[in-house]
Amino acid sequence: MTSEKTPGKANPSYAPRSGSGLSQLTRRSLLGLTGLAVAGATVGAWPRLTGSDIPGRGSKALNIAILGTAADAAARQGLVQAFTAAHPDIPVRLQAIQGADWKDFFSKILTMAAAGTPPDVVYVATEGAQLFADKLAEPLDDYVRRDAADMRDYFDDVHPSLLEAFMYQGNLYQLPLDWNAANMYLNTTTFAQAGLDRPREDWTQDDFSAILRALRKARPADFTPYYWTNRLFGGVVPWLYANNTSFLTETKAPGGDWLWDRFYPTDPARATRGGGYQWLSPNAEDGRVIETFDYLRELVAEGLGVRPEAGGGNALVGLFGNNRIGTTPAGGYWAQGLHDAGMTPDQFDVQFFPRWRSQRHQFGAAGYAIMRTAKDKDAAWEWVKFCSSREAMQLAIPKPNTTPTRRSMVNESFYAATGPKHWKVFYDTLDRFPTSGPIPAPPQQAAVETALMKNVSTAVSGSSADVRAAMGTLQRDLELALRRNS
Amino acid sequence: MITTAAAPRRTAQTAAARRPLIERWLATIFLAPTVLGMALFTFLPIIGSLVLAFFRWDIISAPQFVGFANFASLAQDPTVRVSFLNTIVFVVVAVTLQLGIALGLASMLQPRMPSWLRVFLRSTFFFPLVLSAASVSIFMRYMFNEQFGVVNWLLSLIGIPAVPWLTSPVASAAVVVLVYVWQNFGFSFLLFLGALTNIPKELHEAANLDGATGWKQFSNVTLPLISPTVLVASVMAIISALQVFDQPYVLTNGGPGDSTRTAVMVIFESAFQQLEFGEASAIGLVLTVLILAVTALQFRLSRRFVFYQ
Repeated sequence: MTSEKTPGKANPSYAPRSGSGLSQLTRRSLLGLTGLAVAGATVGAWPRLTGSDIPGRGSKALNIAILGTAADAAARQGLVQAFTAAHPDIPVRLQAIQGADWKDFFSKILTMAAAGTPPDVVYVATEGAQLFADKLAEPLDDYVRRDAADMRDYFDDVHPSLLEAFMYQGNLYQLPLDWNAANMYLNTTTFAQAGLDRPREDWTQDDFSAILRALRKARPADFTPYYWTNRLFGGVVPWLYANNTSFLTETKAPGGDWLWDRFYPTDPARATRGGGYQWLSPNAEDGRVIETFDYLRELVAEGLGVRPEAGGGNALVGLFGNNRIGTTPAGGYWAQGLHDAGMTPDQFDVQFFPRWRSQRHQFGAAGYAIMRTAKDKDAAWEWVKFCSSREAMQLAIPKPNTTPTRRSMVNESFYAATGPKHWKVFYDTLDRFPTSGPIPAPPQQAAVETALMKNVSTAVSGSSADVRAAMGTLQRDLELALRRNS
Repeated sequence: MITTAAAPRRTAQTAAARRPLIERWLATIFLAPTVLGMALFTFLPIIGSLVLAFFRWDIISAPQFVGFANFASLAQDPTVRVSFLNTIVFVVVAVTLQLGIALGLASMLQPRMPSWLRVFLRSTFFFPLVLSAASVSIFMRYMFNEQFGVVNWLLSLIGIPAVPWLTSPVASAAVVVLVYVWQNFGFSFLLFLGALTNIPKELHEAANLDGATGWKQFSNVTLPLISPTVLVASVMAIISALQVFDQPYVLTNGGPGDSTRTAVMVIFESAFQQLEFGEASAIGLVLTVLILAVTALQFRLSRRFVFYQ
């Protein structure tokens, strides 16, 4: 037999090699290369694997979280630049956190806090004000006292009710920068079709019902005279406030004199001011609460009002813009929304909420809260103080997609492009009705809101007798909710 | 000569002896990332959740040991009870419909159907599964809107008055089931289609010769032969349905009242909205036990109806 082995060469331990390049690699080499590749990829991706490539992580910049998209953060770059010009020693980083609503946003902030990466400053609305004050935020009292001279201009321009909404157990936690009351938006096209004029300022709940019936008569189909949503803002609460009641018993904490005496000594409602709102017990079975729910149930049953779960948000703007809605409660933020939806200033108007036993309005506000965990609280305060200045607020709120808390900014030119004609209603809501209050938002707000929303829908769907049963359930659910994390 | 001849033999023996050790090391190295990942991201959270169920923790303050208090409060919370009841009803209705529709459609695609049509239908039925459940639910929410939705508009064309799809307890539950089944039956459908395709033709031909046609052939030949797939499909469908969240959350937010609130929704609300992480863990634990119990029961019962060739 002739051997095919080439003299002087070892026998191949596996199949003969052919070709060149990768096909000539031994298994050992291949494994080695794979190992190297894995090691290289790991080293290359290390910043991603450890999260150190997340913008702002580990940086000394003041980290400020807002609810919104990256575009919203970009829109505030002018504000950041102005602050940096005034405070070059304080680097600032705006972080937009997306969420469907405030509840969603607060959950994400809390998760960041639990993960050990909380922002230094957070934009917080009334919905979360007491939650943050109770668990996360730093009181501003000492800073406000220290810089009282600088703050005078702000307090002179801002209604005290807005400040009171951000007091908690005697301390001030936020300086409100934007706010919205639940006013009644009127679709003037549909009003004209029904032969209706803008109602008087002191219109009543009965006037409101009569207007809805007239609107329905003029547009029997494919139209909703009153559109409301199942939310804390603009839902059942404005009606409860108008009927001089609420689903939670409202009291005020003691304290706060340091603020009222110093900055608001001539406030007509000074005697009623305290150290912040308290919602400590449920009030769902109160006769007026039942009466209010029954009124809304009647509107739904009569076909004058939509069921409250039917929609909201952008859909609502679109439907109003298409003249398929006659009236709806909303705040100053809607002026820009309707303008963007194509409505001209004369196609919609606004009026105070109708009067019932009172004409008390509900409102919601928002401002920056300094976190207790903030790296540099003094720097954080400089940001909060700067944002309350007129210059900063004009940069932050260039158009009426909300209502500025500075009265002087709510003027003719601000609403020139969008309307409505009676834009004065927005700030007059506080000036004319000083007992107007914030939406009920105790530290357990999320549980309270869930309890309210689910029972609103049940209460307005059945008969009058069902309302009392639904309020019994709401009372029980609220008791459970208020016990949470207390 | 002796030396040169013996050396390779020894080397070969040593290599053979070493191979299992090297292979063991290699296996360990290759499995390590997966095992480590599972340990870090699956087992550790499970243990953490188990422990957390006995604590009260709001994510910010230090956890507080409360023993069985979280479980006791669950038993007293009517929302939790209703949500579990809703979940069980949902599972029964949705899984029955999902498997029934999937099996029915898969059987219809079996007879002599042009291959292009089969491919088209297969893709069509599977397509909803690749869509995001949240997006689908938002879309459906507009479709089922009582005032302005396209569904009520279509019904109005034939004189049917507007149905409160998302605002009445029964109708909203029906919509949630409908949307869930529409989106999920495609997976069971593919499983059944594969199983039906694998049945040898001779068995059906033999059944034909014996005079079995239609339902008799289906129940006596087809169903027993695909019974292992039915078991797998039903186990997966039940586990998935017990964890339903997206559709009721987006479509109805659990309402009206608690009529469409499910167990996972309550876990989400307790943990991420109400900051009761201990209570949420306790609900999660109860749900896990329920899923394990139902799965074990299915496998136990399967001995009676699953036929392995």
